[in-house]
Amino acid sequence: MRKRSARVQSAGAARFLPAVIPALFLLGWILVSATGLVPTYLLPHPLEIAQTGYTYVLGQPGEGPYAGRFITDAGASLSRVGCGFAAAVGVGLPLGILSGRLSVVNGLMSTTVNALRAVPGITWLPLALVWFGIGMKTSIFLVALAAFFPIYLNAATGAGQVNPTFLQAGAMMGVKRLRGTFAILLPGAMPHLMTGLRLGLGISWAYLVLGELTGVPNGLGAVIMDARMLGRIDMIVVGIIVIAVIGRVSDQLLQAGMKFCFKSARRMP
Amino acid sequence: MSRHLRPMRMPDRKTTGEILRVEGLRKVFPTNGGFLPVLKEVNFLAEKGELICILGRSGCGKSTLLKIVAGFVPPSSGEVLLKGKPVTEPGPDRCVIFQEDALFPWLTVRENIGFGLRGRHRKRKTKAVEVERYLKLVGLGEFGDYLPSEISGGMKQRVALARVLILKPEVLLMDEPFASLDAQSREEMQDLLLKLWQELGHTILFVTHDVNEAVILADKVLLMSEVPGRIRKEIRVNLPRPREMESSAFMNVSRRLHEELRG
Repeated sequence: MRKRSARVQSAGAARFLPAVIPALFLLGWILVSATGLVPTYLLPHPLEIAQTGYTYVLGQPGEGPYAGRFITDAGASLSRVGCGFAAAVGVGLPLGILSGRLSVVNGLMSTTVNALRAVPGITWLPLALVWFGIGMKTSIFLVALAAFFPIYLNAATGAGQVNPTFLQAGAMMGVKRLRGTFAILLPGAMPHLMTGLRLGLGISWAYLVLGELTGVPNGLGAVIMDARMLGRIDMIVVGIIVIAVIGRVSDQLLQAGMKFCFKSARRMP
Repeated sequence: MSRHLRPMRMPDRKTTGEILRVEGLRKVFPTNGGFLPVLKEVNFLAEKGELICILGRSGCGKSTLLKIVAGFVPPSSGEVLLKGKPVTEPGPDRCVIFQEDALFPWLTVRENIGFGLRGRHRKRKTKAVEVERYLKLVGLGEFGDYLPSEISGGMKQRVALARVLILKPEVLLMDEPFASLDAQSREEMQDLLLKLWQELGHTILFVTHDVNEAVILADKVLLMSEVPGRIRKEIRVNLPRPREMESSAFMNVSRRLHEELRG
C-alpha cells in the first residue's frame, strides 16, 4: 500500500519536473527585478514582459508598435523554417541513407560534407545575401544548409548500423531491395533518423533568426532586431520566449507526427 | 551399441528423395595478411524430410557452412544444389532460424509472423487466417499483439520458427537456435521442433555443438572436424522417438559421439 502511493507520488512529481527549472528561473528573475539588483533598462520586470507579450500576441493592430503582429511574424517564420527544413530532409535523408549503405556514396560525400560542416553557418550569411538578397530566400537557404548536416550524418550512422541480421532475415524471407529499404532499413534506422530530424529542426530555428536579423520586414528574428534598434528590451525578451516556446512545440509536433505515421517511431526502444 | 549406430557411407546413387546436395564446398576467408581456410571439401546429401544435425566444436566452420547453404555467403569453390539447382542467393525456399534474436522489434508478434507473406499476392483475409494458424501452431495464440521486447527468449524463437514455417520452405536452416535459452526452454523448443517436424515434414539442417541435442533431434549426425572443417563422419541415429535421455541406448549414442568429437 505504502509502496503504491509512493509510486503514484513520484509519477505525479515526474509530471512537474520539466517545469521546475523555468519556475526557479522566473523566481530568480522576479527577485532580481524587485530588489533592483539589475536595472529595468537591462532586464525588465516579468510583469512588463507579460504585458508586452500579451499585446504582441493578442492585441489589436494600432494599440502599439508591435500589437497583433504575432500572427504575421510567426507565419512568416514558420513558412521559412518549413521550407528550409523540408529541403534539408528531402536531400539529407536519402543521401545520408545511401551513404550509410553504399561505400561509394560515402567515399564521394564524406570529405566534402565534413569540410563544409566545419564552416560556421554565419559565414554563409554574406554570400547568401549577395546571392539571394534580403528576405525569404536567404533565410530558407541558411535553414536548409544548417539542418542538412545533422539529418545527413544521423541518417548515415543509422543506416550503417542497422543490425545486419535483420537484412539477412529479410533476404531469406524473399524481400527484395525496394521493400527491404522501406520495411527493414528505415524502421531499423528509425532511432537515428529521429535524432537527426530533431536536431535539424532545432538548428533550423537558430539559423532562421540569423537569416531574419538582416532587415526583413517580418518574422520573429526581424521583430527582435527591430526592437533592439528602438531600445524595446521588453520586446526582445518576448521574442526570445516566443521562439523558445515555438521551438519546443514544433519539436513535440515532429515527434508526435513521426509516431503517428510510423510504427517504428511509435515502438522505438 | 552398433544396433543404433552405423556409419553411413556417402551415397553414390541418386536418391529419389534427394533435396539438398552439397558438393566439394570450400571456403577461405582472407585474414590480416593471410588466408584462413574455414571449410575444405564438405560433401553431404539431405533427403526430403530428413532432420540432419551438424555437430562440431565452436569455430569449426559449421555456421559458415549454414550461411553458404542459406546463400548469405558465396563459397570459394564447390556448389550447393537445392533440388538440382545451384544456390546463388538467399530465398524463402531455404529459411534460417538465427542464433540471436532476429525478430523485427518494431513489429508485433503477429506482424512478424506475417512479414514474409506480404510480398505474396494473396487475399488479406487468407493471410490473417494463416498467421493465426501458425501463431497457434507454435503455442503463442495469446501473444499475437505483444512486441518482441515484451516476450521471453524461448517465445522469440517460437515466433522465429512461425515466421519461416508460414513460408513453407523446402529446407529449414537452424543455426544453434536454442543455444542461448535456459535448459527448460531448450527442452520445450526441442519438443516443439520435433512435433512440428513430424507434422509438417520439413527437411531440417540443424547446427549445434551440443551432443545431447543432436542425439535427441537427428536422423543423421554430420560430425565436423576442427578448422578447416570437413564432415569427418556421418552417423545415423536410429533410436525410436520420443527419445529418452535417460535410456541406455541414448547414452550409448551420446557417449560414442562425445568420443568422436574429442578425437
